[in-house]
Amino acid sequence: MTTLDENAKQEASGMTRRGFLGFLGKSAACVGAIAGASSTIGATELVHGKRGFQQNDEQFAEAVNNPPKVPDYNWNDHEWAMGVDTDRCIGCLRCMEACKMENSVQMDAFHFRTWVERYVYLEGSNTAVVDSQSDPKNIENAGSETKFRFDNRYRNVKVDKAFFVPKLCNQCEHPSCVQVCPTGATFKANDGPVLIDTTYCIGCQYCVQACPYGARTFNESRGTVDKCNWCYHRITKGLNPACVEVCPTGTRIFGDRKDPESPISLFIRNNHVQVLKPEMGNAPNVFYKGTDKEVV
Amino acid sequence: MESVFNHVTPHIGFIYPNESDMAWTQLIVIYPYITGLVAGAFVVSSLHHVFRIQRFAAVSRFALLTALCFMFFAPSPLLFHLGQPTRAFNAVITPHWTSAMAAFGYVAGFYVCLLILETWFAFRADIVAMSKTRTGIMGKVYGWLTLGSDDVSPHALAIDHKIARILAMIGIPSACGLHGYVGFVFGSLKTREWWSSDLMPVIFLLSAVGSGVGLLIVLYVIVSKFRKTAIADDTMRGLLYVLFTAITVVMVIEGLELLEIFYKAREGVETVRELIMGPIWAGMAIQWAMSIFVLVATSTMLVYDVHGKRLVTWLFLSGLAMMIGVLAMRWNVVIGGQELSKTMKGLLTYYPEMFGRESLFVVGIISICPYITLWLATKLLPPWETASLPSRT
Amino acid sequence: MSVPKHIVRLLALIAVVAVVVFSVKKFLVPDSFYQYGHYRGNAVAEIASKAPKLQGSASCQSCHKEAYAVWTSGIHRKATKDNKVQGVVVKYGPGCEVCHTGPAGNHPSKEPMPLSVEDRVTSITHLEHKVHPANVPGRNLMLDPESMRGVCLNCHDKLEARPVVQRQVAVDSHSGKELCTTCHNPHSPRIDNFAALPRPAVDPNTGKAISAVEKFKTGDASAGKSAAAVCAACHGNAGVSVNPIWPNLAGQHAVYLTNALKAFKSGARKNDMMSGIAAGLSEADISNVAAYFAKASCRVTGGDKAKIEAGKTKAAAAGCAACHNAGGLRGTGAAGISASPAWPNLAGQNADYLASALKSFKDDSRNHAVMSSVAKSLSDSDIDNLSAYYASVSCK
Repeated sequence: MTTLDENAKQEASGMTRRGFLGFLGKSAACVGAIAGASSTIGATELVHGKRGFQQNDEQFAEAVNNPPKVPDYNWNDHEWAMGVDTDRCIGCLRCMEACKMENSVQMDAFHFRTWVERYVYLEGSNTAVVDSQSDPKNIENAGSETKFRFDNRYRNVKVDKAFFVPKLCNQCEHPSCVQVCPTGATFKANDGPVLIDTTYCIGCQYCVQACPYGARTFNESRGTVDKCNWCYHRITKGLNPACVEVCPTGTRIFGDRKDPESPISLFIRNNHVQVLKPEMGNAPNVFYKGTDKEVV
Repeated sequence: MESVFNHVTPHIGFIYPNESDMAWTQLIVIYPYITGLVAGAFVVSSLHHVFRIQRFAAVSRFALLTALCFMFFAPSPLLFHLGQPTRAFNAVITPHWTSAMAAFGYVAGFYVCLLILETWFAFRADIVAMSKTRTGIMGKVYGWLTLGSDDVSPHALAIDHKIARILAMIGIPSACGLHGYVGFVFGSLKTREWWSSDLMPVIFLLSAVGSGVGLLIVLYVIVSKFRKTAIADDTMRGLLYVLFTAITVVMVIEGLELLEIFYKAREGVETVRELIMGPIWAGMAIQWAMSIFVLVATSTMLVYDVHGKRLVTWLFLSGLAMMIGVLAMRWNVVIGGQELSKTMKGLLTYYPEMFGRESLFVVGIISICPYITLWLATKLLPPWETASLPSRT
Repeated sequence: MSVPKHIVRLLALIAVVAVVVFSVKKFLVPDSFYQYGHYRGNAVAEIASKAPKLQGSASCQSCHKEAYAVWTSGIHRKATKDNKVQGVVVKYGPGCEVCHTGPAGNHPSKEPMPLSVEDRVTSITHLEHKVHPANVPGRNLMLDPESMRGVCLNCHDKLEARPVVQRQVAVDSHSGKELCTTCHNPHSPRIDNFAALPRPAVDPNTGKAISAVEKFKTGDASAGKSAAAVCAACHGNAGVSVNPIWPNLAGQHAVYLTNALKAFKSGARKNDMMSGIAAGLSEADISNVAAYFAKASCRVTGGDKAKIEAGKTKAAAAGCAACHNAGGLRGTGAAGISASPAWPNLAGQNADYLASALKSFKDDSRNHAVMSSVAKSLSDSDIDNLSAYYASVSCK
């Protein structure tokens, strides 16, 4: 990918035809050299970016030279990330419903790959009152466990400030769930998302305990753990994740950080963004704009 | 509307929506409890095998069998808890070593092998003797257990003793490792304030020793009553010393841990206080009441130099109290840790299921199994009749 | 010093067990394990190969051209003016699958799939929540009115935590029990593109649907002429009333007339004279009569010029045009001609009748979610002026 980009740049800068051909030859040689000496991590790192989580030199070389056989997709060309602009979230929960549909998440109020929280500072209070769509009062108000709605409980009280915060798996750089998985059923793909191999998961739920963000849930009928994977089956086909696709207000921004003009790169560059619970050391890849001290 | 919340843990405050479905239940409470009993029983047996403390000679082989029988059932709560029990061996086939849990198969497997070997060496002379006296199927079984060698010459027995001693010496750090490791599984999780503590492995280990000694006391007294044999005063005094040591250290370290949580008073400390006052108050009350009872009873027995019948009665009660207290402590750690939400803004209150795969019923069955197995094992390898054996000194 | 036999045998046994265990372990490790890391390398492609279910709005276009066209030109297509957030161009506005939850990947299929029924009433299957009016043959896709409203309120209910830029309504004071689709086209809800849709009759007190929405069938006007004989005594042979206290029927929307007669018949609306007469009409009579009067030509009655001018000003201020104007809120179409056939035309109606209707809304002897609240905001002189104004407007 890099060499192609280089080519384009060189071409644009008015290179002569002969020089250009020469450059092509050189870059071909370069690629060969890398393939040959792929165990030297320094060289590959320069060209192809960073190594995967808990990946040794040989495995990294394999990831670079022999990526998984996904049609029209190479995981070395991407580094996915998501942004959440909480100033825009209206708490309509369409993301959550779309996610449940897209990923066949259990249709009840206790298993989620993504969800929305509401933070409300009542007048004069220094701490927020928090609820999610699973709050019993919200379920009671909606009249059904599967009719996800926030109730209007703050209609008759004075509120200093209030906002919604959508949550999902942070696809951390140092995922504690992957660290504690005893079998290797969950892992971090080289393009970012933390995936679950549901044919290999034993269902011990240690990862559920280890996730600081409560992003993992147990699917009792499958006997395996479930989590958000940014709709890996969609993003590898050039589509947005389901939640991003249906968000009516543009709260969720998704894209490739290797593309400096992608929505996410612009979002991160143009805003002051935060991550959740940075003290955990997980280095999340979901970037929040406009969150608050009370957001956990 | 009630029906919606039937299958979900009631909560107050704010919890992550996925938390209301509790991941680890009462099966994970008895898993560290059973491994704890193993560790405790093994320590007592080692006190005789390694340190040659003669007062434990009477119970050392029984302690070894107890440890072995309980160890067989230590992994069963985990198997019942797994969503895909048939894939349990994935963790052994491709162990992911950064996971505290991946080592379980290896640690437990190693420990089971060690216990089997040590038991074999400790009972080999009896096995050989019985292979010669018994007939029928049992005779064959004993024949196989001898591995076709009836060498009970003083030379061979001396080697046996040496190996048994070495195995016991390896076994002590292994037992400590096994149980410290269980504590590590909980203590190493940074996400749960109630678990995330450097003291967790130590607490688990010491309370395990305490509960194991308690179990031995209880079993020894009961078995002696049934066999109508005298209870060795010396042995009981020895068990008293071990129990006293365990309970004092456990209480100090547990107290220190609570003190640290409240003294550091990190974010959410109010919720921790609410947890202790709320969902686990009963567990905490039982744990500390039992601990104080054991501490007071054992101290009094030491101060007044109690012997004989009074010693048996009160030590029996102390052992029982220790077992109950440690079980409550396991509940408080495993369930309490999950009742405290990761948000530190909410609390859940867990109510165990009565029937089903992860229910109190299954817990009851699993808890009874080791005792039945132990009863069968004592039929196969009688640990009491040491008279026929040559002296072990 | 010789090693005893049992030790040798034991060591041999341990060796055999170890060899067996290690070879089994080796054999059981999946092929692509450790390829890219501590996991099954093939799992990546397996996970990626799952078929997407959400198809995006464009996939709806081929079959639902009309709704798609309305949506693309409306505000739901583009919720913000600049289509940008902090320099980032993002797609905006709810697409089809936002309200019609249930991914199009399942469609068409037996799965609960939320689509509009043919009579163009918005119907949405909301996850497992399948509450259907009974008599929509073969189309069990409709929601009860409350859930229908819920779909809009998912985003537009006034909540403290919602950002102020989001359009929100406190629904109790905004429309009471009325359906959102009464005034708004869900595909393009801005009020000047309001819904020209028939709707289920709704009991104003409970908010429950009295009748199911069904496709309106125009009656037979010629058959209606004979049935209309009974009407002529008051409403005139050609639908022009003999007394200005009674409404003219000529040129009125057939749908409105039908709904009114049905409401009289069912008792949802009461009038000493009309309740009895409507009770004697069959369903067929009702639609035929309605069709007959709808075709009859109307007549404009005049009025006091000053009142007409004052009424015109008030009509603009009170927002009557939002419904009773062919062009909607912006008032670009013919005044007094309601764009929804479910709402009455006012143009050329008798001033006395209009005034008495408004007064009955005002004193609650007649109820309507929208009209009752509108009428209560009008003074008696406003009512006079408005009545005079609409009576004078051309009804052609």
